[in-house]
Amino acid sequence: MNQMKPNTMLSINNLTVDVEGKTILHGLNLEIGKGEVHAIMGPNGSGKSTLSHTLSGRDGYHVTAGEALLDGEDLLSLETEERAHRGVFLAMQYPVELPGVNNMTFMRESLNSVRRARGEEELDAVAFIKLVRAKAAEVKLDPKLLKRDVNSGFSGGEKKRNEILQMALLEPRLAILDETDSGLDIDALRIVADGINALRSPDRSIILITHYQRLLDYIEPDFVHVLSEGRIVRSGDKQLALKLEEQGYGWITGEEAAA
Amino acid sequence: MITLDKQRGWFEQQLAAGRAHKLPQTPQWLQLAKQDAIDAAAQLPLHNRQHEAWRYTSIEGLLRTSFAGDKQAHQVDQTIVEEMMPSSLDSYRVVLVNGQFNAQLSTYGDLPPGVSLESLRTALATDPDLLATWFGSIANHSESIFSALNTALINDGLFIHIDHDVELQRPIEVIYVNISEDQQFMMHPRNLVVLQPGAKATLVERFVGATPSSYFHNNLTEISLQQNAVLKHYRLQEESRDAWHLSSIYVEQQSHSDYRGVTLAFGGAWARTEYHLDFDHEHATCGLSGLYTVGDKQLTDFHLTVKHRVADCRSREQFKGILYGEGRAVFDGHILVDKDAQRSDAQLSNDNLMLTRNAEVDTKPQLEIYADDVKCSHGTTIGRLDPQQLFYMRSRGIDEATARNMLCQGFAAEIIDQIDLQPLREHATERLVDSLKRNSQPEAGR
Repeated sequence: MNQMKPNTMLSINNLTVDVEGKTILHGLNLEIGKGEVHAIMGPNGSGKSTLSHTLSGRDGYHVTAGEALLDGEDLLSLETEERAHRGVFLAMQYPVELPGVNNMTFMRESLNSVRRARGEEELDAVAFIKLVRAKAAEVKLDPKLLKRDVNSGFSGGEKKRNEILQMALLEPRLAILDETDSGLDIDALRIVADGINALRSPDRSIILITHYQRLLDYIEPDFVHVLSEGRIVRSGDKQLALKLEEQGYGWITGEEAAA
Repeated sequence: MITLDKQRGWFEQQLAAGRAHKLPQTPQWLQLAKQDAIDAAAQLPLHNRQHEAWRYTSIEGLLRTSFAGDKQAHQVDQTIVEEMMPSSLDSYRVVLVNGQFNAQLSTYGDLPPGVSLESLRTALATDPDLLATWFGSIANHSESIFSALNTALINDGLFIHIDHDVELQRPIEVIYVNISEDQQFMMHPRNLVVLQPGAKATLVERFVGATPSSYFHNNLTEISLQQNAVLKHYRLQEESRDAWHLSSIYVEQQSHSDYRGVTLAFGGAWARTEYHLDFDHEHATCGLSGLYTVGDKQLTDFHLTVKHRVADCRSREQFKGILYGEGRAVFDGHILVDKDAQRSDAQLSNDNLMLTRNAEVDTKPQLEIYADDVKCSHGTTIGRLDPQQLFYMRSRGIDEATARNMLCQGFAAEIIDQIDLQPLREHATERLVDSLKRNSQPEAGR
């Protein structure tokens, strides 16, 4: 096991993951410090979504080697909901629709589950409504959407804002944003990015998974990593993202192949 | 195996048992109706797999049981009864204990003029002629041995009559409390509901049973909606888990009348609801909706027969089921559109959510169309909870059992939300949650 640095939030060591019998992550290493924002970029099929789903505990992602420690605790042995209780939040690329489940009820159940797990008092209906209205205003989500069924019939932008609203409510320690920029026009992207920026804090680490550099114009990362064939093949600062924007991924993945 | 001899023998046996509790007075027309039913029953074919209406629903368990006649209400502990029927509904409340009207528990003294609500026994004594006009005119009592038995053993029930253009503001709430500590017994409540032209009302029926209590509740309701009449009819079946329950609802509709039926079925070991609705007058509409949950040792059956015999009528049938354990459900929805029933508009759907592998549903939507200018559709689905939805909820900190319950409630909400009385919606949701809790408990005896 690697030695954990004192300010480390998440430490991923030699993570190897199979999906449907095929190895997608090949011994991935990544260290994320408290308060840091890391962008993970890479071509399609490089394993970006596999990483986010493995960290959040989705079925069908089989860890065959390696580990992921959150605050020193073995994250991968926890149930999905327990990870949420520890402060892991995954904003999904395709937020799921829940017909018949009221958005407000869903968020209250979610927040109270997390609060219960943390030994905090549950919020009653009145206190919750107050809180959620205020947070919805921050992420510019139409309050009418709170009364609708979760994500049902929401536009792409509304779904993403609804994700950011949940993140704002749950105040996670580690937020993983999976292709949050996909399907957003420039105005929606700005609103979502503002929401995320507002949640940056010294106690909160953020992993931005993205295919394009565009999102990073709005959310400035501390580190940029390139994922290729299930490994981090290059790490740098935001300049790396700009170079990728200009030159594509070929020069890195080609370099790897040559090496 | 049941045989025709056994079926007839059982019918005779129940007839003999039930005769001990006859009505104080039986006018001649009723005597004739009873004899007709008995004669008809003797001609009925065997209700087994070869009989389309009974194809998936076995009556073997019923035929193996000898029921005592109506259990007298005074034998029942009143305080237990009161505990069993909590309701926060602001209603005109009528209570039937073991099939018999109970004046002590009923509270409907302030009915507005033009509304008459009385027990069948009272109506026979005070209003026999009015009753005779309607009684048996809507139901075809020769369709099954059970509807025949209901007519033959008629003992009590309700007569509701609403004068033309009277709009009843508060709902009429009928609570059937069924309880027996010792013997298995049967009851055959018989109701007649008449809404004169332009009348509007809401009728709530609740079937409550004490578990463990074993009984056969064999209910038959005739409803007549005259021109422009509107009836909302909500039914909550929460019978004992050891009970047999059969409800047969016959509806007759005049032009521009509207019938909205919502039935929620949670209880019973063997429970069947039949809707028989004929459109014989143009521009009438009906909506039949239902929700059922079934678990171990439960069978719930819905049978709908809607006949569009004339043009320009509209029907909607939407039924949803949640099945778990070894629960079994049967859905048979038959819509007939006769050749003269042009511009009929009919939609039928049945969706089933299977929470376990061992649950079973037999669903049979049928559209039989002889007219050429119609708008008709039907659809059936059988599915499981979506793993993506479960993952999404769990990733937000919600534990799996809660997530499953929330999704089931979401599935059911489409039906429950059709009830426009909030206390009843809340009550229904509680019953649903109770029922789902049984699913999350470890299954005993396996």
